Order: sequence, then structure tokens, then C-alpha cells
Amino acid sequence: MSAAHDVRRAQAWLGTFVEIRVGGLPPLAAIAAIEAAFVEVAAVHALMSFHETGSDLSRLHRMAAGVPVQVDPRTYDVLVAALRFADESGGCFDPTIAARLVAWDLLPRPIGATLLDPQANWRDVELLDGAHVRFHRQVWLDLGGIAKGYAVDRALEVLRARGATAACVNAGGDLRRFGEAAESVALRHGSANRCALPEIELGNAAVASSVVTAHGERGDQCVHSVHVNARSGRSMRARRAVSVVADTCMTADALTKVMLADVRVGGRLLRRHGASACLSDGARGWRLFGHG
Amino acid sequence: MTKLPHARWLLPLSLVAVPAFHAAYATQYMSVAEAQHAAFADASEFRALPAIGAATANALGAPGWSPQLFEARRADQRLGWLLVDRVIGKAELITYALALDATGAVKSLEILDYRETHGGEVRLAAWRRQFVGKTAQAPVQLNQDIKNISGATLSSRHVTEGVHRLLQLYELTLRAAG
Repeated sequence: MSAAHDVRRAQAWLGTFVEIRVGGLPPLAAIAAIEAAFVEVAAVHALMSFHETGSDLSRLHRMAAGVPVQVDPRTYDVLVAALRFADESGGCFDPTIAARLVAWDLLPRPIGATLLDPQANWRDVELLDGAHVRFHRQVWLDLGGIAKGYAVDRALEVLRARGATAACVNAGGDLRRFGEAAESVALRHGSANRCALPEIELGNAAVASSVVTAHGERGDQCVHSVHVNARSGRSMRARRAVSVVADTCMTADALTKVMLADVRVGGRLLRRHGASACLSDGARGWRLFGHG
Repeated sequence: MTKLPHARWLLPLSLVAVPAFHAAYATQYMSVAEAQHAAFADASEFRALPAIGAATANALGAPGWSPQLFEARRADQRLGWLLVDRVIGKAELITYALALDATGAVKSLEILDYRETHGGEVRLAAWRRQFVGKTAQAPVQLNQDIKNISGATLSSRHVTEGVHRLLQLYELTLRAAG
């Protein structure tokens, strides 16, 4: 992408900054394409927000278990993928961990949500025909581990459909791009690692990163990470950082969570999805996993 | 065209901490003038409004706060406002523009400028020096500029808080001025 012809814009969505960059289009067409892509990002934000009362998730959370609820086809797409990753990872990736995050004050309690069944998990979410969803037991869904990647993928498709020859959508570090030449992506994992950091030459692919950071500190109580090992129910140990390269940003996004939870399971899923990852465990430095 | 590989990982070979050459990330997305025309394509004039007073800033719990305020007009008609504000995050300084229509409803929100206030963790120049010479079999063509960063997700909470403050400012002063 030649810098002279790139148009870039950034807006705040999905709790972070989304940057969209386009090449190969005249300026006005580039701006129109970027605006259309932001409309798609905004739609994913509105549909899959855990916080906003009008979202599909909030509607699901207000319904009693056993009642089928119709959701937007995009929400349905993400749920299909989320349950597939949950199944493939044996629950290392679990879109129903929201209850634990609420208990630790990392997410607000959904307004008007029906009472939660403490035994419920992702297996209690059933996907029916016609974009209907039914909970067998009451769960709270949090698509934060995957929806951002999906929004990136959707936005990139909009740009491609509008004739961009090169484009990049970066939602707070979860990014996907296409273009003739590969581009450098610097990986930066906060203070998790003070040493030299990796970089990627990224072709037509996506990269997503996750870092285990301690949040929700409350006085002398224990500090929980927003990353929860779904199988043990405990927050993950700090100082682990991972980046995953995959075909789609949704896959990359989801696989970062699996890699943080369990490197062995993560490695298996990386191979299945033709993905690769680099992980830092603090003192042990960077290790590569998976294909490529 | 040959199919590009997914990616090539360039991993640091040692755990030696790399000093100096902090590369702070900064991007300008739009100028104020571009933001004005993007939000109000029909406007013929963007009238700069006087800075808010100390009393107003204090009333909004933000002493010293001074966003730039513009009224978008076409002939005698007011189209809305463009409010340009800056917020400081943990390690970044963000300038953004909030456009309100003539009824005070949010029309758009654009990030104008994103700048890191300190070097962060990208120490590219230094680590590349370390890399050079160790890849003789696979020479690497590195772009000079890093356009993308992947890592810990930045929170946009400060911008959200800034928008709430601008909307309060609208209620307090701009709406009454209409």
C-alpha cells in the first residue's frame, strides 16, 4: 500500500479504537468505503454488546430459559463460531464465562437479566433454525472474545466489495489486511515483556493478540484477570501474552483465548485452523506454535 | 501473482532488554477542517465559538478544560456543532471531534489524532539491529514504517467519558444559546 494513496480513519467502537485504512481507491470513494465499513462495525457493536440494553445479547439475557429467541444473522454467525470453538477446545474457549466476570466486577450485571443457573455452561446454548437461539439453562453470553474479530472481518469484506486493492482494519490490535505486499505488524504486549518484541510480516491474513492483565483490583482482595480459564473457572496467571495469525480475524481472536488457557489444546487448534502463534510466558521468552 | 504466505514471524533471539530507540506511535487521521466537512458537507461556514468560561468548566468537573467549539452554518441556518476535544489515556493523547446536529443529537464521532505520550514497548530500531546478520539464509525486507500494532487492547473509555462531558456542555450552554 503506498502511503500517498492511503486513506485512514479511526472511530471508537467495541470498547476500543477501530482504525480503517484503504488503498487503491480515489479519495472520495475511499472515504465512502470506510464509512460503509464503520457502519458494519457499529452494527456488530450494537448487536453483540454485553452492556447495551438493546443488543441481541441483552434480549437473550432477559428471556427465560427454554424460550427460542430470534437474533440477527450476524449474531447467529458468531454464536455458531463461538460454540464450535468451545467444542473444539473442550471448553477452553467458553462464551458463557460472563457470570464469573460479573461476579468479579469486571462486567456489569446485565440489566433485567433473569437469574443465572450456576451449573450452566456453553452446552446449554442451542442454535435452532431461522437464527433462533434457545438456552436450556440460563446463561449469560459474552462474545467479547470473538465479536471484535468478526467485526474486523465484516468491515474488510465491505472494503473489498467496494473495490479496494489494499485495506487494513485494526480494532484495538485485532487486525486483518489484504494487499499486494506484506506489511509489518509490531507486536506489543504492554508491560508483560520488557524485552525485545516480535514483529510479523503479514500477508493477506489476520493477527490478534491477548495479554493477561490484572484488572478489578479491590483493596486487599485477590486480583482477577479478565482472562478466565473456562475449564478451571480461575483467572489465568499474569504475564502471559500471545499473538495468533489466522485466515480470519475471528479465528485469530478466538484462538488467542485458547492459547492463553491451555497451550496444548491451543496448539492442536492452531494446526486445525492453519494458524500460528507466538507466546510469551514472562521469563521464558517467545515461543512459536502451530503451522508456518 | 504468487500467493503470499500468511505471515512470517520475526522473533527476537535473545532476552536481552533493548535500551533506547523508543518508537512512539502517532497517527493523524483528519484535520479539524476535514472533520468539519466530513460531518457537515453542506455547510458554508464553521463559526468558531468563544472558549467556555472557567465557571462552566468547573461546573462540569473539569477545571481548565477548553474544547474547540464550532457552529456549522449554511446561510442563515444552523446545521449543528462540531466539538473538538482532547483526552489523555494511560499512555496516549487523543484528539477527537464530536458532531451534533441542530437538535443536539450525536451525528458522528471521529478520532482526529492519536499520539502516544511515551515510547511504549516498540523498540524496533534496536531490535532490528539485533536481528540483522542472523537471517543470512532468509533476508528480510523490513518496511521502514510500522503501520500496524497488535497487542494489549487499548480502552476507549476516556473518549467515551469525554463525549459525555461534551454532551453535558451542550445541555449547559449550546442548547440555551439556540
